[in-house]
Amino acid sequence: MNHVEPIRLAQVSAGYGQRVVLDGLDLGLRQGTITAIVGPNGSGKSTVIRAMARLLPTRSGVVLLDGQDIRSFGSRGIARLVSVLPQSPSSPPGLTVRELVELGRFPHTGLFGRLGAEGVLAVESALTLTGLTDFAERPLDELSGGERQRAWVALALAQGASTLLLDEPTTFLDVRHQFEVLDLVASLCTSRDMTVVMVLHDLVHAANYADRVVVVDDGRIVADGAPAEVLTVELMQSVFGVAARIFTDAESGRMFCLPIGTGGS
Amino acid sequence: MRSARAFAALTLLAAVAAVVLFVLHLGLGTVWIPPDRVVLALLDRPTDPTDLTIVRELRLPRAILGLLVGSMLGLSGALLQVVMRNRLAEPGLTGVSTGGIFAAVLFLAGTWGLPSPGQLLPFVVLVGALAGGALVLFASSFRGRIDPLRLILTAVIVNAVLGSLTSIVMLNSQQALGGILSWLIGSLNGRVWDDVWLALPWAAAGVPAALLAARAANLLQLDDESGRALGLPLQPARVALFGLAALLAAGAVSVSGAIAFVGLMAPNAARVIAGADARRVFPLAALIGCVLLLAADLVAQSLSIKPPIPSSSARVGLPVGAVLAVFGAPLLITLIRRSIR
Repeated sequence: MNHVEPIRLAQVSAGYGQRVVLDGLDLGLRQGTITAIVGPNGSGKSTVIRAMARLLPTRSGVVLLDGQDIRSFGSRGIARLVSVLPQSPSSPPGLTVRELVELGRFPHTGLFGRLGAEGVLAVESALTLTGLTDFAERPLDELSGGERQRAWVALALAQGASTLLLDEPTTFLDVRHQFEVLDLVASLCTSRDMTVVMVLHDLVHAANYADRVVVVDDGRIVADGAPAEVLTVELMQSVFGVAARIFTDAESGRMFCLPIGTGGS
Repeated sequence: MRSARAFAALTLLAAVAAVVLFVLHLGLGTVWIPPDRVVLALLDRPTDPTDLTIVRELRLPRAILGLLVGSMLGLSGALLQVVMRNRLAEPGLTGVSTGGIFAAVLFLAGTWGLPSPGQLLPFVVLVGALAGGALVLFASSFRGRIDPLRLILTAVIVNAVLGSLTSIVMLNSQQALGGILSWLIGSLNGRVWDDVWLALPWAAAGVPAALLAARAANLLQLDDESGRALGLPLQPARVALFGLAALLAAGAVSVSGAIAFVGLMAPNAARVIAGADARRVFPLAALIGCVLLLAADLVAQSLSIKPPIPSSSARVGLPVGAVLAVFGAPLLITLIRRSIR
């Protein structure tokens, strides 16, 4: 059992230009768990992920990667430990799935970019795990939205990092493809002991796929814990400003959070 | 079209075409030398001793320059299309051509009483070209950041200014007018071994460097966030790739003048054939650049003209840049119509 936290944010403040987005945030990740970050638009959810991978420098506070200050790592060193799937990734027209997934090996290869036996294996297993082996030679722009999202997950997997940060991985996907991507992430967490952080808009997904839900509002953490503890009628009112019903479906055992309106105020 | 085998076949085809054109190029001239005798002369076993002189001394430098300039412009264009995120980017958008030509007209207009300004001209063009590239890079960086769109707009503006300044100098100077025309269009006429030595270091350093840069280029083709998350320092990579494109273009412009279209056509053709992976696009763009330039120069050599310049009465070959523009444009339009629906 690894007792070092894969990533810890300690008193982290960060922002863009004059605007402070994160304000003294503390958050540590537990190895092999799925953490969902939820919160209203503009609350700083995505910024948490960006700070975790040093895509945004911190104003104050420290980000620890495997217990060490993230500033002591090179860019490729971070990429070997942390994979990030941005909110709206884009690839050039004509790039095939395999070509995209091979880019995941960039942090591991030398000047001449030879994949090596280990790299070839990583690419193949990423394609297999995401069920994309048959699509490997197809250009990304010819795939459906769900397949394309799986290809980006495969890229992150080929990277071989043990922590995976996903920024709204289900946006723009239909219901079925949303479940496909989330089931994939959940199975990776178990089979590869990966630590996963997902920014999610859909609270039902957060409730049913995450071990832990972190609610961010106005750059601070306002609630943190198991989904059933965190997602309450009171929180829905105070953070999201909506009246909601929260219940568990007896047949599926799944937890539902049903917003019914802005409270009629 | 995009499978590994099709790619290998088309690459081989382009390589064979380059070799065939190279041999034909060496055979063509006032005296036609058939391919078999060209090859024997190259191997130092000429059937006729004059073949040796004609092929190796007179024609080889120009053909080698065709290969060098073609591959440099092809790669320069391929790099810029990545850095600028735009398939219409071409080596001229580095500011290198207009910079080189402006330096050349200034030099020719001044001349400063030098006995043979022509010999110094390539060096002057080189310095001007590098300065033009540095100017575009400097003017477009804002708070240490290079943005693709800002880079393109800056380059267009710098080119317009340098172009206007060139025109003003030319209107005021007769000497500059005659000497600069072939540089404006781009030509390989009358090139000798000295010109090869001038371009060779740039090609020898720049071409392998560009091929190695293909991996970083692939990450630059993704969105900024993905590229950085994979461990690529985005801004230094953009500056390095732009610098490399400018060096390659400057090396080419200093010996051939501003040859248009090769740097636009070669990478676009390579993309239609090879897809988007820079590890395939870059070498293919270099190869197609060679093929295009040698083919156009073959045509240019066979169509001679008598330029209406008072000082000379000799017939000279067409400038290769003009041939490329005339025959290349329809080819390029066809290509783009097919690939962008």
